[in-house]
Amino acid sequence: MATEILTLNNVTRIYGKEATQVNALTDVSLSITKGEFVSIVGPSGCGKSTLLNIMGALDQPTSGEVHFDGNSLDEMSRGELTDLRLQKFGFVFQAFNLLPVLTAAENVQFILQLLGFARYERQSRTREILDALGLVDVADRPATELSGGQQQRIAIARALVGEPALLFADEPSANLDSTATRELCELLQQINTDRGITVVTATHDPLVMGYTNRSIHLEDGRVVEDKSNP
Amino acid sequence: MKQSLSSRVSLIYALSVRNLWRQRRRNTILLVSVICAITGVVVLNSLIRGMQLQMVDQVVYNLNGHITLHAPDYRSDPAITRGFLEDFEEFTRKLDSENLAGWATRIKIPAVVMSERETRGVQIVGLDPAQEDISVVADLPIEGSFLANSADNRIVLGRALLTQLRTKIGHRIVVVMQDINSKSKEVGFQIAGVYDSDSEGMEKHVIFAGKGALQQFLDSKSITELSIRFNTRLIPPDGLESISQSFPNLETVDWKNIDPILAFMYESVNAMVYIWLAIVFTALVFGLMNTFITAVLERTQEIGLCKSMGMKSSLVLYQVVTESLIVMFLGLIGGLLLSWGVLQLLGDGIDLSAFAAGVEMLNLAPKIRPAVVWQDVSIVVIATVFLALVASLYPAIRAVRLDPLIALRD
Repeated sequence: MATEILTLNNVTRIYGKEATQVNALTDVSLSITKGEFVSIVGPSGCGKSTLLNIMGALDQPTSGEVHFDGNSLDEMSRGELTDLRLQKFGFVFQAFNLLPVLTAAENVQFILQLLGFARYERQSRTREILDALGLVDVADRPATELSGGQQQRIAIARALVGEPALLFADEPSANLDSTATRELCELLQQINTDRGITVVTATHDPLVMGYTNRSIHLEDGRVVEDKSNP
Repeated sequence: MKQSLSSRVSLIYALSVRNLWRQRRRNTILLVSVICAITGVVVLNSLIRGMQLQMVDQVVYNLNGHITLHAPDYRSDPAITRGFLEDFEEFTRKLDSENLAGWATRIKIPAVVMSERETRGVQIVGLDPAQEDISVVADLPIEGSFLANSADNRIVLGRALLTQLRTKIGHRIVVVMQDINSKSKEVGFQIAGVYDSDSEGMEKHVIFAGKGALQQFLDSKSITELSIRFNTRLIPPDGLESISQSFPNLETVDWKNIDPILAFMYESVNAMVYIWLAIVFTALVFGLMNTFITAVLERTQEIGLCKSMGMKSSLVLYQVVTESLIVMFLGLIGGLLLSWGVLQLLGDGIDLSAFAAGVEMLNLAPKIRPAVVWQDVSIVVIATVFLALVASLYPAIRAVRLDPLIALRD
């Protein structure tokens, strides 16, 4: 039986106050099942990133509830949410968002350092993930010297190295050409299939959507369609 | 999973060092300003301390000692009638301390000297040359000869007074003093020699005679002062009280009471050292704070990224504070090394003889030699660490308060 890992009940997110108020999300209810590869799709400004941020405990809903593994995020302190993001979630952001002062390998190790792994364990796990993603050759290069595709793959390696339960990717192909996008999607699909990691990605790219097995369509902050992909 | 300390330290250290290196031009300028500030404070404080201690040395050395003992009413009326008897054995017993460099008994009374042509008011100091290794007398350059012993009935004048009196070595002069019966007594002395001093005032107003000879002329066995010098630059903590208790019938006067203006200047210098330190470091703290606020603003996205991935606020705070501590630590090491170099160059002192009048007025030696007071250096070290914490705290708190989401959007 499929296990629900993340559920949202009547989630609304309003930005601004009174006259400048914007409803980014309105009454969104959905659940993500363990092992799914989900795309949140819709036009720009429809609330995809907002939904992803709320799912990833980076933002709090104005009303409604979010539960991860049966625990309400609303009842967690800021410290507990930080720990949750560190230990259970992995993030790949729209901009490549590597730390420019670190090498590719160090960017991956960063999460393991935050998790408190010893040096040997950090190095071993980093080597393993870079090897798996075909990034060993760029391991010692500064993050700033990597191509866009390489940076995004390193960001995925960093998101995966801590073995998260959920991987969130916000417009991961926004700065990539079609070849790199295809490679990235295949990688995400492989992670989802081989490692059993639940992947949720926000995208407006049909190419990315084609790789996922479920699509949630948003318009004006509302879920207008939630369907399984063939 | 709890973070291990070494994992946390290595992460913070790596991020801090590389972030500093990333902005190396700006941080080098910051580092240079810290080095300059610390060098400025240490070197200037050492010079000020050097001047301060030399002022004390001059007072102590110039026939005063650290402590002088008088009959209770002598200071209001310095006459031989206000003297006290010298008990050599008692003095030796009571002043037997390893802290003491020595002691000397003297007669110091006002007198008038007359040559064939001129008359001047002076202070005649009757002394025993054998006891004067604790005072300037032992080191005065002499033309002619100094007094051979306490019973020597000749006299030694300063060069300036000799010029004023228009007389010569070997000539006789007349000294008028009040004797033990408060009667004026005129005594003829032969000039044995002439001394030169850094102080023209001393040359003009102080003449030396044998203590024993003077007692004979004044019909008295009294002395007017017992001068004590310690083998430390300042009076040891319990020195004044201990001497005072040993001689309950005498008035105990330390160098601060002998020269109250100098004592005020001495205390003022203490305050000045810390005020100077506070001014320089306050200016520096704003410079540092400004730099680290800029650094935090420049890294808003990166800080947001770190926080979004689960970096705790405490680690963000430590990272900014560590950057500040690294800059200040390097600045401190550089500043202390540069200070050491500058002080080595100034080791022979700064020659102030071109400003002789001002130097004498301030009771300074003609060469200012820096004196490193380790307490001052310790305060600079502690203040530097404190400064690093203070300067980084506000930028660090700003970094901690960054909302990861807003930071990423920025």
